[in-house]
Amino acid sequence: MNEATPLGVLVVGVGNELRGDDGAGLEVARRARQRARGDDIDVRELRDDPIELLDAWVGRAAAVLVDTMRSGASPGTVLRLDASHEPLPAAHRHGPSSTHATGVAETIELARALGRMPTRVIVYAVEGRRFDAGAGLSEEIAAIVPAVADRVLREARSLRSVTAQ
Amino acid sequence: MSEADGTRTIRTDYLARVEGEGAMYVKLEGREVSEVKLRLYEPPRFFEAFLRGRSYTEVPDITARICGICPVAYQMSSARAMEDACGVRIDEGPIRDLRRLLYCGEWIESHSLHVYMLHAPDFLGYPGAIEMARDHREIVEQGLQMKKAGNALMTVIGGREVHPINVRVGGFYRAPTRAELGALIEPLERARETALATARWTSTLEFPDVEIEPEHVALADPGGYPIDRGRIVSDGGLDIEPSGFDEHFVEEHVEHSTALHARLRERGSYLTGPLARYSLASRALRPLALATAREAGLNSVCRNPFQSIVVRAVELVQATDEALALIDAYERPDAPAVAVEPRQAVGHGATEAPRGMLYHRYEIDEDGTILDARIVPPTSQNQRAIEEDLRAVVERSLDLSDEELTLRCEHAIRNHDPCISCSTHFLELTIDRE
Repeated sequence: MNEATPLGVLVVGVGNELRGDDGAGLEVARRARQRARGDDIDVRELRDDPIELLDAWVGRAAAVLVDTMRSGASPGTVLRLDASHEPLPAAHRHGPSSTHATGVAETIELARALGRMPTRVIVYAVEGRRFDAGAGLSEEIAAIVPAVADRVLREARSLRSVTAQ
Repeated sequence: MSEADGTRTIRTDYLARVEGEGAMYVKLEGREVSEVKLRLYEPPRFFEAFLRGRSYTEVPDITARICGICPVAYQMSSARAMEDACGVRIDEGPIRDLRRLLYCGEWIESHSLHVYMLHAPDFLGYPGAIEMARDHREIVEQGLQMKKAGNALMTVIGGREVHPINVRVGGFYRAPTRAELGALIEPLERARETALATARWTSTLEFPDVEIEPEHVALADPGGYPIDRGRIVSDGGLDIEPSGFDEHFVEEHVEHSTALHARLRERGSYLTGPLARYSLASRALRPLALATAREAGLNSVCRNPFQSIVVRAVELVQATDEALALIDAYERPDAPAVAVEPRQAVGHGATEAPRGMLYHRYEIDEDGTILDARIVPPTSQNQRAIEEDLRAVVERSLDLSDEELTLRCEHAIRNHDPCISCSTHFLELTIDRE
């Protein structure tokens, strides 16, 4: 890696498409990738262990995460959370860490403790409706995916100025 | 906690750093421990039921889904059981070597996660890996490096890091090339160095001077340290083929757990996993791993569950060293799998998951449709022994404060690295003192 030319903004959609709306982050990532052509923005999908982010973030000055949340808000609610300097609010944490359930919030804190955090980390959290077994987003979540993808891309483009510093 | 009537209640709603959901209940009457229950409340998952009616070829992919930490164990035990049913044995050659290599990857992933991220915080006095990472960055970095090496091995042979897709009854869908495996040498050599350093570090930790009694049960492989095959042996004289499992072991339902409790018919509770494996097979360790064990102060038998962190570190040396040897000797097979034709039969398979012996039994009809399935994971086998260990820990620690006793109990449970998801996810700890 050439430190003089830091890597572009990394957008990661996190989720499990076999659990209903938990696949929303992945779908947003796919949509964002289609629209990011020619931009210095990498878009990835993460289905397994969020700890993989620790490696994915190496050399990155800015990152955007898209994940589904189950906070009790009305389905389709989209929150923009800035995790750059402080932990995600408690309501968005997974609960006690276990290896089966190292959540995004825990991974962010581990990255911070290890000095592996990009300068800016922005999290978009989409409130899902259903998380039962089976593929496919609920209608209302599928309907907002394009708009969320657009917001995420706008965010990623604005963060490019960070990577240029 | 109620001191007035002699009752003392200590409760932890979630025990973190274990795989799955469960609870622990301890009742004290005065200084007597009257009840200890490891209560697993993870809903039953019915894998055995929905395997019925499926094809014999589907077991590696279906059973892999039982666990995200040890899917290879399920794939290997199930494939071996189906091959046994169909009269096929893969006991040597490059397909067996590849299986063992893949299994090494899983041991590396699973043990490194437990040693560095789940167990180390107990010894260093932190609530979890994140808090530990702030003061001991190097430990967490080592864990991540080791896990990455394991993941790489899983990806090259298994097709992906979790729930491998390249395993089939009879072998693999595709065998990797020597060049593909060659790319793993450098990360595995680094992982082996880290494992050696880890064994030295774990040996400096403070361990309470305790021993637990349960009979040790593990596989015995005449060709080396047991991973992918073997007879079922114990330090109580047991020495049987996996097909004799039902004759010597029984599984029972207990009200407080959604996982069946297993016991030896003749002698009750037993322990499977790293302590048992090491104690029964330390002589079969590779020279580097054996020397590491001796340097770390382990005798040929280890009955102190707190020292399981040292044993896991030794097994990390074993797995990395063996993986490198297997890669060095690897010749790509002409075909990635052998033909396995179905017949009406019953088959048995037992392998050593990171947490211990994993036994599968399948009955299939002449076209390979599964008529009956039995899966006996390590944690369900260990439940009684864990409860007995916990009882002893509480009896030794009655003078501790509620908070200290709770932490001690949690540590005692994590010594056994229970995988509750497998056996039936968080542990809730309750201590009642009367």
